Amino acid sequence: MERAEREKTQLITNQPYDESLEVNDSEEVASVYTPTPRQTVSRKSRRQLCAMANNSSDEYEEDSKPKKKETQPAGEQGLSENEDEEEEEEEEDDDDDDDDSDETESDEDEGEPGSAPEGAYDPADYDHLPVTAEIKELFQYITRYTPQTIELDHKLKPFIPDFIPAVGDIDAFLKVPRPDGKQDNLGLLVLDEPCTKQSDPTVLSLWLSENSKQHNVTEVKVKSLENPEKNPKAIENWIESISELHRSKPPATVHYTRSMPDIDTLMQEWPPEFEELLGKVSLPTADVNCDLGEYIDIICGILDIPVYKSRIHSLHVLFTLYSEFKNSQHFKALAEGQKSDTLSVPRSGTGDPETLTFD
Amino acid sequence: MILSRVKPAVGGEAPTSEKKKKNKGKKTPRVEDYLNQRDYLGSITLLEFQRSAGEREEDADLWLGYCAFHLGDYRKAMEEYKALTERSGCPADVWVYLACTLFFLGFYKEAEEAALKAPKSQLQNRLLFHLAHKFNDEKKLMGFHQNLEDVTEDQLSLASIHYMRSHYQEAIDIYKRILLQNRDFLALNVYVALCYYKLDYYDVSQEVLAVYLQSIPDSTIALNLKACNHFRLYNGKAAEAELKNLIDISSSSFEFAKELIRHNLVVFRGGEGALQVLPPLIDVISEARLNLVIYYLRQDDVQEAYNLIKDLEPTTPQEYILKGVVNAALGQEVGSRDHLKIAQQFFQLVGGSASECDTIPGRQCMASCFFLLRQFEDVLIYLNSVKSYFYNEDTFNFNYAQAKAAVGNYREAEEVFLLIQSEKIKNDYVYLSWLARCYIMNKKARLAWELYLKMETSAESFSLLQLIANDCYKMGQFYYSAKAFDILERLDQNPEYWEGKRGACVGIFQLILAGREPRETLREVLPLLRNTGNPQVEYIIRALKKWAKDNRVSL
Repeated sequence: MERAEREKTQLITNQPYDESLEVNDSEEVASVYTPTPRQTVSRKSRRQLCAMANNSSDEYEEDSKPKKKETQPAGEQGLSENEDEEEEEEEEDDDDDDDDSDETESDEDEGEPGSAPEGAYDPADYDHLPVTAEIKELFQYITRYTPQTIELDHKLKPFIPDFIPAVGDIDAFLKVPRPDGKQDNLGLLVLDEPCTKQSDPTVLSLWLSENSKQHNVTEVKVKSLENPEKNPKAIENWIESISELHRSKPPATVHYTRSMPDIDTLMQEWPPEFEELLGKVSLPTADVNCDLGEYIDIICGILDIPVYKSRIHSLHVLFTLYSEFKNSQHFKALAEGQKSDTLSVPRSGTGDPETLTFD
Repeated sequence: MILSRVKPAVGGEAPTSEKKKKNKGKKTPRVEDYLNQRDYLGSITLLEFQRSAGEREEDADLWLGYCAFHLGDYRKAMEEYKALTERSGCPADVWVYLACTLFFLGFYKEAEEAALKAPKSQLQNRLLFHLAHKFNDEKKLMGFHQNLEDVTEDQLSLASIHYMRSHYQEAIDIYKRILLQNRDFLALNVYVALCYYKLDYYDVSQEVLAVYLQSIPDSTIALNLKACNHFRLYNGKAAEAELKNLIDISSSSFEFAKELIRHNLVVFRGGEGALQVLPPLIDVISEARLNLVIYYLRQDDVQEAYNLIKDLEPTTPQEYILKGVVNAALGQEVGSRDHLKIAQQFFQLVGGSASECDTIPGRQCMASCFFLLRQFEDVLIYLNSVKSYFYNEDTFNFNYAQAKAAVGNYREAEEVFLLIQSEKIKNDYVYLSWLARCYIMNKKARLAWELYLKMETSAESFSLLQLIANDCYKMGQFYYSAKAFDILERLDQNPEYWEGKRGACVGIFQLILAGREPRETLREVLPLLRNTGNPQVEYIIRALKKWAKDNRVSL
C-alpha cells in the first residue's frame, strides 16, 4: 500500500497539470484501495490502476495528444467520449515509463479499428496487374471511397454473483447467566443453541399431569398442524408419543357391576355341530336388519356374553375377548388360514381404555 | 432445588433417552435435566407446569427468562424480564438481561436504555460495546473496547466484533489463543470454521468444523455451516442434502434458526421460492436482501433490483460487488454515465482490495471495471486469469469475446462468440454486430451476410448493413460490400453509398483480374450497377463489357 502511494505521488509530480490533480482529492476514494503489488497480475496493469485512481475526476481534463487523436476514430459520443478521455489520461501516466508506454501503444494500435487490420485491402497488391490504362483509371474508384470506421457498442454483461448462503454471526457473549450463578459453559463447551430434539410441550404437559395426578391444573393446549399432508412426520411423532404416554399408564381395570364369565371360559371351543354349521353359514354381519343395540345383543348371545341393563359392560367383555384372541399366538396362526371366517373387526390396535368406573 | 453441575450433552447419548429413563423411573422430572439436554422447550413446559400447579420454585421467573432466551425465543424472554422489572424488589441485574433480549430483537435504542439502568458489569460493557458497533459510534466503541478485560467472555465478544467487521484473521487469532489454553472449549472450533468460511477457505472450515460435529453431530449451527461449505465446494444439491438431514433430525417443535434454514434452502435451490421466502427476511438476515437483488438480476428485472439496493450502504465485498453490478446493468440500460461511474468505482474498490484481489469475484470486478473504461487489454489480463473456471459460461464468454475483438484478436473472439448458447445474447445487436465484424475480419464475409439475412428489418439491421458494407470494403471483400451498399443505397439515397458501391464493384472486377474471384461474378455486378441511375454507371459498364468481350466472358 505504501509503495503504491509513493509511486502515485511520484507519478503526479511528473504530470504537467499538478494543480488540477489536487482538486481531485475529494473524489479520490479509490486510491486508498490501490492494491499492493501482487505476483499474479503484470506490473503494467497495476500501474494503470494507479493511473485510474488518479483520474477519477470529471473536471480533470487535459489537452489530448495529437498522436492519440490520429488513431482515435472520429464521431464518438456518449460513453466513448469518456473512453477517449480516460485513455488519454492513462497515456499521460505512461510517459514516465517509456518502455512500457510504447508497448501499450503498439498493443492498442493493433486493436484500434481505425488502423489497418491484418489482411486489409491494399491497392499496392494489385499494381502488378497487366491492365489497360482505361482499367487502371477505373481502379481508382476503389481508393476514391474511404470506408467508414463503424464504432460498435460494447455491452458489459455484469457478472451476477451466486446466491449467498447465510451462516449467521458468532456468539457475542451477550447472554443471560443462570439465575443460580453457576457456569453454564454455553458458547464454550457447546454452542449456545437449543438441541434439535425439543420436547413437545403438549405431550410433556400430559406427562406431567399424568405423573402428578393433577388432572385439573392444566388446560392442555393442543396445537394444530398446518398442511398436515406435507408433514406426516409430525403426525407420526404425535401418535407415537401419545401412545407411549398411554402405554405407560397402569393397565385398565373395569369393575363390572354384575358378574361376567371369565375370558378363558369364553375362549373355549364351540360344540362341534356349531363349528360345522359355521363352515356353511357365516356369522350375522352388521348388515342384518336391526339396530345397533339388537346387533350387540345377537353377537353377545352367540359368544355367551350376558347382557344386563347396560350393554357397555358386555361390550367391554366382548372387546377384551377380541383383544385376547388377537394377541394369542395360537389363534393368530389359526386365523392366517381362514381370515374371512372369523369375526374380523377392521380396526388395527385397540387403544387401551382408560380406567372406567360404572355405577 | 438441587442442581447438579452443568455438564453439556456430549456425544452418543440420544436426546430422547432422558425421557425414557424418566418414564421408567417415574421420577419427577427436574428442570436441570432438561437444561443439560438444552431442551429448553422441555424446561419451559416444566417450569410453567410448576408455576400453574402453585409450586413456586425460587427464581422461577428468572429461570423461565433464561430458558426462553437460550431457546432463542427472545420475545418471551423479554416479556418475562419486563414483568420482573416492573415488580418491586427486582434485582438490578435484570435490566441488563432485558437489554440483551431487546438487543436480539433489534430494539437497539431500547436495549441501550435498559442496559444503562443496570449496575456496571462485564456483560453490560460487552452489550454496550456491541451497541456502539450497531450505532457506528467509533468513539464509544473504543471506550467500551478499553473496558474489556482479559477474561474469556470479553475476549470472545471482541472476536465476534472482529468477525462482524470482516476482520476474520483477528478473530481467528483470539479463538486460537483461547483454544490453546482451553482445549475443551469445542464450540470455538465452530467459530474458527465460520471465520474460515468467510475467508473462502471452505475445506479448512470443513476440517475444523468436523471436530465439533464429531462430538455434537446434531448441532444446527454447525450443520448449517457444513451445508454452506458444501454449497461453495460442490453445488446446491449437495448443500440441500445436508440441510435436509438437519430438518429430518429436528423435532417439529424446533423453531431455532428456522428462518436461516428457509433462507438457505432458497439459495441452494437456485432461487426457487425467493419471492415467497426472502421479502419477509429482509433486514432480519442480512443476505436476504442481497439474494433478492440477485434473483431480480437473474430475471432481468434491473429496476426492481436497483430499488432494493439503492439505499444500502455497502460494507462487505459482496455488497460492493452487487451494487456495482446493479449500477452497471442499470447504467447501460438507461444510458446513465453516473451509474456507470459508480459501478466502475465499486468494481475497482473490490477488485483492488487486498482481500479480494486474488479471488474470482475480485478478478471479475477488475475486468468489469476496465471493461467500463474500455481498456480491453486489461480486461483480458483479468479474464484470462480466471477463464478456466468459466468455460461455457455465456456471460463470461460474451464479455471475453468482446474484449478479444476489441483488441483485434478476431480469430479467438469468433470462437468464443460461437460458444455462447443463450438465445437472448445471440439476438442482442452487440453480439450480432461484433460477430459480423469478426467474420469479416476473418475473411468469412458470407457468414456475416447470413447474419444480416436472418434479421428483421429494423434500425439495427440497417446498422449491420453499414458495418458489412464498410468493413468488407476495408478488408477487400468487395462482393458482400457491394451487395450491402446496394441495399443501403436503395433504402437511403445518400451519394456516399453510391461511391461505396461503385468502388466495391470495381473492386470485384479487380479481384477477378487478379484471379481471386471467379469471372462469373461479373454477371452479378452489372445488375448491381444498373440499380443506380448515375451517368457514371454507363461508363463503368462499358469498360466491364469490353473486358468481358475481349476475354470471352459471357454476361
